[in-house]
Amino acid sequence: MSTATDNFVGHVTQVIGSTFDVEFPSGHLPPIYNAIRIDSEHKGITIRLVGEVQQHLGGGRVRAIALGSTEGMMRGMEVVDTGKPVTVPVGKATLGRVFNVLGEPIDKRGDVVADDYWPIHRQAPPINELSTNTEVFETGIKVVDLLTPFVRGGKAGLFGGAGLGKTVILTELIARIASSHGGYSVFAGVGERTREGTDLWLEMQETEIGETGRKVIEQTCMVFGQMNEPPGSRLRVALSALTMAEYFRDTTGADTLLFIDNIFRFSQAGSEVSALLGRMPSAVGYQPTLATEMGALQERITSTNKGAITSVQAVYVPADDPTDPAPATAFGQLDAFIYLERSISEKGIYPAIDPLASNSRILDPQHVGARHYAIARRVQTILQRYRELQDIIAILGVDELSEGDKQIVHRARRIERFMSQPFLVAQVFTGKAGEITPLAETIRSFEEICDGKWDHLPEQAFMYVGVVEQAEAQAKKMAEGKR
Amino acid sequence: MANARALDKRRKSIRNIRKITRTMELIATARYKKAMDRAAAVTAYTEQITKVVSRLVAAGTEVRHPLLETRDNPSTARVLCLASNRGLCGGYNAGVLRTIVPHVEQLRGAIPNLVVDVSGKRGINGLKYRGIETTQQWTQFEDQPPYAEVEKIAAEYLRQYALGEIDRLDVVYTKFISTSRQRAVVETLLPLGSLESSDAQGATPDSGSEFEFLPSAESILEEIIPTSFKVKLFKCFLDAAVSEQVARMIAMKGATESAGDMIKQLSMTYNRARQSQITGEIMEIIGGVEALAK
Repeated sequence: MSTATDNFVGHVTQVIGSTFDVEFPSGHLPPIYNAIRIDSEHKGITIRLVGEVQQHLGGGRVRAIALGSTEGMMRGMEVVDTGKPVTVPVGKATLGRVFNVLGEPIDKRGDVVADDYWPIHRQAPPINELSTNTEVFETGIKVVDLLTPFVRGGKAGLFGGAGLGKTVILTELIARIASSHGGYSVFAGVGERTREGTDLWLEMQETEIGETGRKVIEQTCMVFGQMNEPPGSRLRVALSALTMAEYFRDTTGADTLLFIDNIFRFSQAGSEVSALLGRMPSAVGYQPTLATEMGALQERITSTNKGAITSVQAVYVPADDPTDPAPATAFGQLDAFIYLERSISEKGIYPAIDPLASNSRILDPQHVGARHYAIARRVQTILQRYRELQDIIAILGVDELSEGDKQIVHRARRIERFMSQPFLVAQVFTGKAGEITPLAETIRSFEEICDGKWDHLPEQAFMYVGVVEQAEAQAKKMAEGKR
Repeated sequence: MANARALDKRRKSIRNIRKITRTMELIATARYKKAMDRAAAVTAYTEQITKVVSRLVAAGTEVRHPLLETRDNPSTARVLCLASNRGLCGGYNAGVLRTIVPHVEQLRGAIPNLVVDVSGKRGINGLKYRGIETTQQWTQFEDQPPYAEVEKIAAEYLRQYALGEIDRLDVVYTKFISTSRQRAVVETLLPLGSLESSDAQGATPDSGSEFEFLPSAESILEEIIPTSFKVKLFKCFLDAAVSEQVARMIAMKGATESAGDMIKQLSMTYNRARQSQITGEIMEIIGGVEALAK
């Protein structure tokens, strides 16, 4: 960190897209990651911009990425070294507010006077402070609780291609977790649609926390760097949000939730500026520092013995290809891994979670108990077998299967449909009340379906229900409807 | 996108499957024609013999024969199930099994003793799976069931019926209606009387024609009624065989088509995967070159 007290002034020597070069007087180079500020006017156009030093080019010049738009920038403009990295307000003052990457409020509700300001670049907690507790975090979503149990104080990722409902699941999780959660929540909107951010903000102002009569937004702060912003902003906004979450963890010790939508945009923004910074592109054109950047971010999202951060992140999968370097790098960092599958969403089953590709670190008899584990594996075995048989069914038809396989197909089709669930946030669209299914009920329901107790119900009855008894009720209703 | 090589491998294996199903389709077509000719020949004979029997019954009012009488309070029934030895014939076996299971349950409710016999490996396994025990199993009947074999079975049934060991015989098989329609049905062959009303309709209009029985109506009936039963049973076997071949023909035709569709789909995905792989590589090379050139 810089210890400079008086602020040195430099001049812009080059502007390349969203990066620019600044020449400082020799001996007064701002260190890497320092924020540098441009605040000038030229021919009636005001430029207010903050950049972050990325490289020292030699000859007193530094290369910085712009955290705002570079439009109207000119060579020779004055640049002031702020002497420290970008800092964001932290603490209780941030609750209920919406910020941009620089920690400036963008909700038009006046200035934020925070007790403390923290730099967005920080070290990950040392290993001796990491928490080693492993506890299941119940969500009330059947398929998630059964197959990809979340870890309290862990990280969960929602992987999926375009339009599969990542954001819907994320907002659903916010609605489920944040509304029953006592601690603080931080939401980071990274390179996604502004509209979705607004929707979420409005919704949080309406939703209440449990029975307390207080709104969710009162315990939440939101940081947005959406699609319309330049790459520098999208690259750093996750860090800004994370810093606020870290403060809650380290000083209040409360359980903190961190939602990020969408972590892929972080990598994407990095790739956009990488070539401009003169780095050679690596696999699939991504920046060579892909893993480093992701690691630096993800390592900080962790639980320590002071407090826990439970994080849920949406990860866009370009072209539905999970082997793409960006999602693949994020993948390794997560405790629970949910993969959304297009073929499932095409069947109209939402959440379109692929039960075979999704997994969780704690889906293990040690953590979830032998019964839960056995049933989860059983469900997966049945679905796996069904998938293997799919080619045969497509070519020869179901009748050619052996009796045992026919039964597997029969149950697999029911299990597949039973994985759908009405969502709280989708209530206004579907008219169906959201279902929160307790874990024990989920396990029992799946067990009974595997045992064949509900073989007699039509497949359609399993769509969008909570516990299995609701499927029975739905089947009854369907039968009456036919008459 | 799945990797190109895996897609290509899958496409190859589906091509092989298509080759097999197409061949099976051709074989089934040939067999179907042969079986069909045989069945047609037997149909004419069966119809005639049924006609004769029904005329005899209609003409000689005092004629009685144990095979024609319905027994009161039947105590033992026997069900014969005709399925195929081989699979890959669409819903053929499933249809038969779907018909026999409720029938057996219904009979169990009405008749204390029930024996089930079955022909065809698929039928044997299917019934075993459904928890229906079978007493006798045959696996020797293929697309051309020989009369001699069927006659043996028929004779055995007749013997048991005469001795009162069974009071009723039902056959569950797939009736061949037309090339596009076969239906799994239940027919009661013993007592024969129960068939008269349904199958001998063609004979009733001229039932008034007069016959002179020589040496006597009884002796003729003694001969002709068992034969009629045997022929009917034989007809069931033939129908089942024809239906099996038709079912296989249609199933294989469908399979060949769906395999073709799948190959098309896979080819498309494969080409796309291949193309994107190439594009990716080119972009990487160009990117590398440009970065180096700076």
